[in-house]
Amino acid sequence: MIYIIDHKDSFTHNVVHQFENFDDVTCDNYNDINENKLNKSKVIVFSPGPGSPKDYPVSSDIYKKFKGKKKIIGICLGFQQILHCEKGKIIEQRKIYHGYQSKIKVTSENSLFKKNRKFNVGRYHSLKLKEPFVAKNFEITMRCAISNVAMAIENNNEKIYGFQFHPESFLTENGNLLIKKILSA
Amino acid sequence: MIKKNYLQDLNNSKKPFIIYKAGKGFDLYTDFSKKIILTNNNIEKFINVDTQLKSKKKETDLFIGFFGYEILNNLIGVKVKRQKGLKFPKGIFYKPETKLKIPIKLDYKPIKIIKSNKLFKININRESYKLIFDKFKKKIKSGETYQIKICTKYSNKTQIDALDFFCRLVKSNMAPEAFMIKDKNYSIISCSPENLINKNNNFITTKPIAGTLKKTKKLNKIKALIFFKKNIKESKEHNMIVDMERSDLSRICKSGSVKILRKKIVEEYKDLYHYVSLIGGRLKDNISSLDIIKAMMPGGSVIGCPKISTLNLLNAQEKESRNIYTGSFGYIKSNGDMRFNIIIRSILNYKNNSEISVASGVVIDSNAKHEFNENYIKGKALMDLYK
Repeated sequence: MIYIIDHKDSFTHNVVHQFENFDDVTCDNYNDINENKLNKSKVIVFSPGPGSPKDYPVSSDIYKKFKGKKKIIGICLGFQQILHCEKGKIIEQRKIYHGYQSKIKVTSENSLFKKNRKFNVGRYHSLKLKEPFVAKNFEITMRCAISNVAMAIENNNEKIYGFQFHPESFLTENGNLLIKKILSA
Repeated sequence: MIKKNYLQDLNNSKKPFIIYKAGKGFDLYTDFSKKIILTNNNIEKFINVDTQLKSKKKETDLFIGFFGYEILNNLIGVKVKRQKGLKFPKGIFYKPETKLKIPIKLDYKPIKIIKSNKLFKININRESYKLIFDKFKKKIKSGETYQIKICTKYSNKTQIDALDFFCRLVKSNMAPEAFMIKDKNYSIISCSPENLINKNNNFITTKPIAGTLKKTKKLNKIKALIFFKKNIKESKEHNMIVDMERSDLSRICKSGSVKILRKKIVEEYKDLYHYVSLIGGRLKDNISSLDIIKAMMPGGSVIGCPKISTLNLLNAQEKESRNIYTGSFGYIKSNGDMRFNIIIRSILNYKNNSEISVASGVVIDSNAKHEFNENYIKGKALMDLYK
């Protein structure tokens, strides 16, 4: 079972439907966590949402508790939540991407995805990861083809994955394939 | 067909009635046997129980009316602090015993024409608008909202002939969700273009509008589409609304059934072009009318995104009640089918106080002066009816 933690976003149920393609999904609000279901789940997903990771200490605690024990996936705010827990700095960016379709590129040999592949994705973020960012076992594997901003992280050792863009958006090409690959990794 | 002078006689009889755009003409509802004034205490029972009449076959087996903005917030657990305003009911529904089809050309001539040259008061002037605008822009930068709609309100104290207003309004600004309500102490007149819920059996659609372009002689439908596609700001706003409505529907629909049926098309109206999408899905089993209303209302395209945090920002800011504005008007049939719009481009006249609210969106690249003027243009067609 996949447990999705909703940060009161207006895109979360797109994420739910996307993951339901592959497994049973339970989705609860971050301030209404069902411990029993959370413990039983195989995968934890941190949803997109407004604000910044420091607004959601409950999600940070869950991340730290289950890191290395379950597969963890973060989308947009969820991606930043993972980075925040790994001592990454999340900062405002000058150009803001809300409802924006842009090209991103796979930049690492070690990614589950083929290096140099480019594709269109939907983006909804005003914040970004401040670089350089270094954390054990983590690698930035995708970047914005124009601005070079970090778009994905992969930690294949501990099975932690994050996307700054929205795989569930109608603006993203092959979003389902992306999730399928991460879930079967 | 209705009798000659039917509308005239109905209007003179002082009987409450409702007119709602349907198909090629209008439906008229009257002879109300029940009138339910909604409160936070009775709304859930109203939606899930009271609307379930025993008879489900007749054309009049339905409740028709409106939900105001505040009660829709409360329904999804969002608080609205005490606000100034008219103390107008939070929602009213009627059970009609008569439903008639009436032609698109409304046959009504007012006995005496009421005109008013009184100026409309605006609740937020240009300077305060700019302050709110800048404040919300900061909230966009910090990620608390991605898009937010600032509402301004024009008000006036005049008696109006609601039916005359409605006839003139639809003559110049016909819209697929146009409606009017006339009751003893209030009336609502609206040329809403936007359908929020259309539910038949287990199939549900929503048709958000994000993007409006005023018609000019040089424009046509194809050029309007090119304009919208090239305009990054309009595209981004529209994309956001499409993903948000997909998510609202996904909450109540079967997994994998939510589809964009018409993606980013242009619809042509008398004076403008709208950038529109149509999204639909198949409802999960055991979804109640209340579940549907809570998932879809208040309609996202007129609020901003994400819905909850944006509503909280708006409610902390707004000192005056929105009343009907950005609520929903429509009906729930006793078999569970429903049709609801989003109440915009509307006049509320309550105890001879008129209110016209308008809103336009703040995204990161909008401009305060432009949006303030945009609001004025949106309200002008309605204010002109008073002249």
